[in-house]
Amino acid sequence: MRDWAALVEQRLAGLVLEPEERAEVIAEVAAHLEDLCEEMLRQGMTEEEAVRRALSQAGDWQDLRRKILTAKRGEQVMEKRVRQLWVPGFLTLILSMLFLTALQKFGLRPRIVWSGSNSVLLYMPWLLSLPFFGALGTYISSGAGGSRRTALFVSVFPALALAFAFLFMFPFSATIELITGRPVDFSRVAIVLLRDGIGWILVPGAALLAGGLLAHAFFSARPSSRSTAIV
Amino acid sequence: MIAPGIKRGTAELAVLSVLEDGPLHGYEMARRIERQTQGSLRFTLASLYPLLYRLEKRGWVRGAWETSHTGRRRRCYRLTSEGKKKLSPIRREWAELFRALKRLTNVSHA
Repeated sequence: MRDWAALVEQRLAGLVLEPEERAEVIAEVAAHLEDLCEEMLRQGMTEEEAVRRALSQAGDWQDLRRKILTAKRGEQVMEKRVRQLWVPGFLTLILSMLFLTALQKFGLRPRIVWSGSNSVLLYMPWLLSLPFFGALGTYISSGAGGSRRTALFVSVFPALALAFAFLFMFPFSATIELITGRPVDFSRVAIVLLRDGIGWILVPGAALLAGGLLAHAFFSARPSSRSTAIV
Repeated sequence: MIAPGIKRGTAELAVLSVLEDGPLHGYEMARRIERQTQGSLRFTLASLYPLLYRLEKRGWVRGAWETSHTGRRRRCYRLTSEGKKKLSPIRREWAELFRALKRLTNVSHA
């Protein structure tokens, strides 16, 4: 009598499940192969051939192991986060920044709102392009199964990244000034924060979010893929 | 011969439908589906068990070890009430798709 459980265990080595759950999967697959082999024996096949054909029914054992793991565990949280958040987020950031760099290379000058030392610089063509990038991020995140909140977070990711950079930059430069003995002008820092916050974070963030919201409204209004998908 | 992409979409419906008639273990399920579809739908280990585990996780089927009259232990799956509820809309969706395809092919051959 062939030890089907041992044969399956050997082939599914590396199936990282709780011991009891793993034993159940192995026993179940082994029982399936045993039934299949017996049927082939009844049809007149030699034992060797029946075993070989039964084992080959699994196809790629590594693929089977991966599929079982995914089905049992669900998709790994980290994988999901990468596909739904980080990849679309950084893609949105990189593309929007590349577009800004390209515009600057072609000689785009920022539009100055409020003159004087408190002037806010707005790159109008770039700002007008941001809803598209926000929509793109939302589309990719939603396509990867991201929730509404994640998809909208992705849409404003470039503005959040810039906010983070600003928040990090000012304490850093203040520390440098303290070390070098130069007086830190906190009122000036506050003005710069506010000015750049408007031009680089608030306005772009609003433009990105508008694109994200539009994309989300558009794609969620479409009929569920479930009713038409045949894959 | 049905293309693999279409088969993947029908797998859920096939499994839930055969379980509607009563509990079955994996091998019986695969054989019954193959027989009833005259070989058009065939399940391999890699297509059947991950699907069963997914359906079980969703609460649409429930598996339990049972000992058959031959003394063998097999994991039998049953349709849960949740699974029964899901079956009708899935059937409707597929019926709708088949009607749409039929209309399409009739028109294109008119």
